[in-house]
Amino acid sequence: MSSPIFGKKMKTTTSILLFITTWLLASMVLAASHNIVLSAETLPNGQYGYKMISHTTTDGTVPTYPADAVIPGPTLFLQAGDNVKVQLTNNTNVKIDFNVGGLSVGNTSSLSPKQTKNYRFNANAVGTFLYGDEKSALLGLFGAIVVDDPSGKVQSFMDGNGTLTAVNRVQLDKEYILFMVGSTFWGAEMSANGTQRPLWTNPTLGAIENQLVRWHVLAVGHAHTFHLHAHRWPDSVDRNAASSNIIDVKLMNSPFDSHTFTIKAGTGVGPGVWQYHCHVMSHMQSNMNGKFHVVPAGSGETGESLAGASPHGKIFGNENGDGAGLVTFIISDEPGSWFRSVRGDALSPVTHTKSLEIIPPGSSVHFIMSDTNGTHTVTNLLWPSDAGKNDHGGDHFMIPFEQTKAYRGGGIVQLNVPGLYVFTCKIHPFMMAAVIVDDPATDGLDLGKTIDLVSGVKDLPTSSDLATRLVHTFFVASTPKNWQDFTSTNPWHVAYPNVEVVTDAGKLSLVSVLEARYGQDIILAPLVKPATPGVGEVWINTQFEKTTGKTKPGTVTVLNTSDWTLKRKIALPQINMNNPHNMWANRDHSVIYQTQWFDTNLVLIDQKNGKLIKSIHVGDTPSHVMTLPNTDDVTVAIHGENGVVMIPAGTTEVRHMMPTQQHGQAPANPHGHWISADGKRIITPNVNTGDAGIYDPETDQIIARTQTGGGAPVPHPIAIGMMPDSSKVYAANLLHHSISVLDGNNGALLNTINLIADYDPLTGEFADKDGNGAVAVGVLPIQTPVSPDGKAVVTAAMGGQIVITDTATDKIVKMLPCDPGCHGANFGAKKGGGYYAYVASKFSNRVIVVDPDPNGDGNLNDAEIAGSISLVADGSVAKDDNISSLAGFGGQGVLPLPIVYNGWVQNLSSEWSAGLTNSQRNPIQ
Amino acid sequence: MRSIHTAELVTDSFFSSRMEKIGNSRPLSAIWSMVLFAISLLFFGGNVLAGNTHRIGMFAEEITGGYFAYRMMRYEVIDQDGSSTDITARYSDRATVPGPTIILTEGDEAEIELMYQINPDQANSKHNHVSLHVHGVHYDKDSDGTLKYINLYKDESATPVLSYTYRWHAALGTAGTWPYHDHNMDSHNGAEDRGLFGALIVNPASAAVDNIKKEFVLYIIDDAFVGMETNNTTGQHTPLWANPNLTAEKNSDVRFHVLALGTNFHQFQLNNYTWADPGSVNQIHTKAIGPLEKHVFVVKATHSSSYMDTAFSSVLLGMKGDFVVAD
Repeated sequence: MSSPIFGKKMKTTTSILLFITTWLLASMVLAASHNIVLSAETLPNGQYGYKMISHTTTDGTVPTYPADAVIPGPTLFLQAGDNVKVQLTNNTNVKIDFNVGGLSVGNTSSLSPKQTKNYRFNANAVGTFLYGDEKSALLGLFGAIVVDDPSGKVQSFMDGNGTLTAVNRVQLDKEYILFMVGSTFWGAEMSANGTQRPLWTNPTLGAIENQLVRWHVLAVGHAHTFHLHAHRWPDSVDRNAASSNIIDVKLMNSPFDSHTFTIKAGTGVGPGVWQYHCHVMSHMQSNMNGKFHVVPAGSGETGESLAGASPHGKIFGNENGDGAGLVTFIISDEPGSWFRSVRGDALSPVTHTKSLEIIPPGSSVHFIMSDTNGTHTVTNLLWPSDAGKNDHGGDHFMIPFEQTKAYRGGGIVQLNVPGLYVFTCKIHPFMMAAVIVDDPATDGLDLGKTIDLVSGVKDLPTSSDLATRLVHTFFVASTPKNWQDFTSTNPWHVAYPNVEVVTDAGKLSLVSVLEARYGQDIILAPLVKPATPGVGEVWINTQFEKTTGKTKPGTVTVLNTSDWTLKRKIALPQINMNNPHNMWANRDHSVIYQTQWFDTNLVLIDQKNGKLIKSIHVGDTPSHVMTLPNTDDVTVAIHGENGVVMIPAGTTEVRHMMPTQQHGQAPANPHGHWISADGKRIITPNVNTGDAGIYDPETDQIIARTQTGGGAPVPHPIAIGMMPDSSKVYAANLLHHSISVLDGNNGALLNTINLIADYDPLTGEFADKDGNGAVAVGVLPIQTPVSPDGKAVVTAAMGGQIVITDTATDKIVKMLPCDPGCHGANFGAKKGGGYYAYVASKFSNRVIVVDPDPNGDGNLNDAEIAGSISLVADGSVAKDDNISSLAGFGGQGVLPLPIVYNGWVQNLSSEWSAGLTNSQRNPIQ
Repeated sequence: MRSIHTAELVTDSFFSSRMEKIGNSRPLSAIWSMVLFAISLLFFGGNVLAGNTHRIGMFAEEITGGYFAYRMMRYEVIDQDGSSTDITARYSDRATVPGPTIILTEGDEAEIELMYQINPDQANSKHNHVSLHVHGVHYDKDSDGTLKYINLYKDESATPVLSYTYRWHAALGTAGTWPYHDHNMDSHNGAEDRGLFGALIVNPASAAVDNIKKEFVLYIIDDAFVGMETNNTTGQHTPLWANPNLTAEKNSDVRFHVLALGTNFHQFQLNNYTWADPGSVNQIHTKAIGPLEKHVFVVKATHSSSYMDTAFSSVLLGMKGDFVVAD
């Protein structure tokens, strides 16, 4: 019980009572000593498993174990009082521990690769326990220890006639071991003759009607509820209680739990294929289920179990594997490797990314949220058109893969139709995994003829510009080496795998196509400081920058706009600040509010010295933060949940959550909200429900919810901008490449600005097709603030563009070049009058300064880039931690100080308003 | 429909008490199978307790706010003498969330015909399924309420053209409170999280429950409690909607049936009361509950109190209500 994961008390009182009783009743039974030799191995797909080398005992026989390393590890069946010595050899490449949950353990020291150590534990309690390695458990290093009463008495079953019937272990026909991990069941079976058999993922458990089967359900990591159809059983027995609690659903607590019960197969209900599954809705949707197949007695059917997809099965590089294979992606907070194949290090020399896997049809893809503090979804961004159609034997139940809300867990899905599948997280849409299902019979990797996109595009040819642009985006986003480094003198080179792919246009060289279309070895423009200074500071979330003092990424980079030098880097190693995403400040700007987009807390930072004031729990995956200008209360969009939380001004506790939808409706998952200048309205872009919501923060009333993105099924509204007089709302639709313009008072849809009207998705040609006099395209638009004077909308588009829209006409007037992953935008004051928009990009390390109206004449045609500044700190810049890698990368939230938006600018202290002109202090008078 | 898009609809919300069915009340295209079945043949055994037969018809409907819900259409109880009592009027005549509470006693059978009263979707055939999957009680493989994709047998759904009849047997050993819910609409997981759920109470054959004056079914969904009350004196079922205040007569025994559904985990609490944790001798005042778990207890209503979910986000969302005890 050395670690928090394994330290859970397991019905201790009952166990001790049982144990004492056992001892008294069975004092003649001698405790056995066991000598177990195990190794921890790396499996062909990169996951880990335990392999039984030998098991000898002083008393009784030992099971027949699988010859290979398995998940779950070999099950250790013991009797209370037994002593166990485990000799463990670590044949993996990671350091591991050997922990046993709930039993008394001797040595618990760690085991480096290639080391062998001895461990001991005593089976001093009856029950089902876990052994494993805390850190790697979610990747396969877990197994069960079953300690039975020496009398052989096991869990009673409820017979079909209502009789609770005692059972001795010798009566059991078989025992199942089912681990609930992420959103996958990992199974094994112990037959009556003592043979253990691995059943891998989501197996079909077989039994003959009326056979007695015992189930050992264990959970590692996330919480679950286990349910088996058409059967019922007594919950763990308290012998002092008058009656048993009969259940068919059992809560499995995080981070470790176990539940053991016996059933008579099909009792009261007869034969059938009965589903077992986790009953957590998001886990059900991510395929956490299997079948319990009860065959009729006397039918001649054997009731044999069927194993599921396995790490030893057929995948790229293990083509001759045993049966259906499994590739596993770790869902991670780590920049670039947000979906990281567990064998990504081995694959990346060939694939140039850790987020690409290749499997044959019939193998499965498995996801596990084992390296993240946030909530996520696992959502098909695109898939082969055929896979989503109704005629592929049930594939359409799983493709497109999707869940209705952000969650913690994982997912598993079998892919049968060859072609390209891309998975993303709806909450963090730059997280991407690509899987190519390749028919081994074809020459070249099968991308398929057409793909469907989650945004509603159907039958898009795989050779089209839009398809290859997405592939290009995938290779840039998932590979930090492919990011634009403005401190390097080398041209920008994007590495792609050197493979032939099969598309609707036949076999093509992937590298040739992508280089021909999107260039290669591009010379990056030199950084030039803007000629006119800004006012105050700009705080920029360099969300991917890594430092030595913490495991999680992200810093704040503070830019002094008087001379365009960096003032400070803030990493906050003491709280392991995780993916800082967006900021705001209180009225006197003494406190900066900082969200952590892959975590649960809002951070308060001292503006003067960059030091931590406090970290406050606000909810899952907080994205954006703003104050109400009228009260200075803090509002935080809880992107992974269903509302905006409120922290009253001057306090450090969340008061309540303003729901973004009505009770029981799909969570809105709001991302980048905005607030009206009078503080009477909060407008949220509701990512999950495809609408913009207008709310009254005083009453929590939903004023309006207006669908954005012209009726597209998944427009993904992600950020809001608002006119200084609150007359209009601008909502950027990431996947619909548009801006929806809403009436700020009643939410009525006024206009939809198409940002890709000038783009031909098939040929990739850019031309002035909307006839507005400018060739302007904004692919994947994100932040879209309106200038404080209400004249310009500046939209940062992830495709690498900045689009400027005139609010007088709601027409695009200009496109300016941005960097890959262009994301954050916000306005600050320009010295002497006017405004700068500061634009930050995820996959570069500079901030671009846009002047939307250099001559101040109100005509935006002369909008230009005034300059750009590196976000990489040299040794002279103040820091609270040392930068280790990805210096200056991950530009997202941008907060210029002083805050000069109407409603806020009037509340500034004299210290902060001193540098502003009269018209900047009163922006719409 | 997926969400609210106009202010007008917002005020006419699902959880206000002014709900109406969406769309035209089109003529039932369902085929009404009124096939009698023989209990003794289906469930013949040495220890079978004879009971009443509950013949029930329910609709699955779409209601304002993007929700689906069950509605009681007819409910007839046939006792062992063959005499029949129509108790349809005890139920709300509208679709409710949770759905109608069905109360059986061990030994009873229920035969429930479900009718699809939702606007079909031409483009998405998966939408044209709705079912009843019940927990706890006995049923054979025709009444699992799942899709062929899962049961490898057949689609056990009501569809726009066919009703489906489920047969449940509250056999001995199934006493307890069990959820029922859809398992088939839109995916193989069903649309339970959009309102298609309710509670089945199976009273024990061996013990009288006459002392219990009220049943409170409280479903904890991800962002609210939703309630249904049964007055055992009148037999009347009353939908209580979201985060309701519960009322009880002083010193009466009332039974709480707390169930959960969705993705979140909860910590139920009834302040200033304690009760026995089922299956144990522990006196508790709070209980962890995960999706589709049930927790059932009886308290004597001696003083007013409040119930709540103390999970972090649930507190912020105001997931609580009063328990008002009056003379």
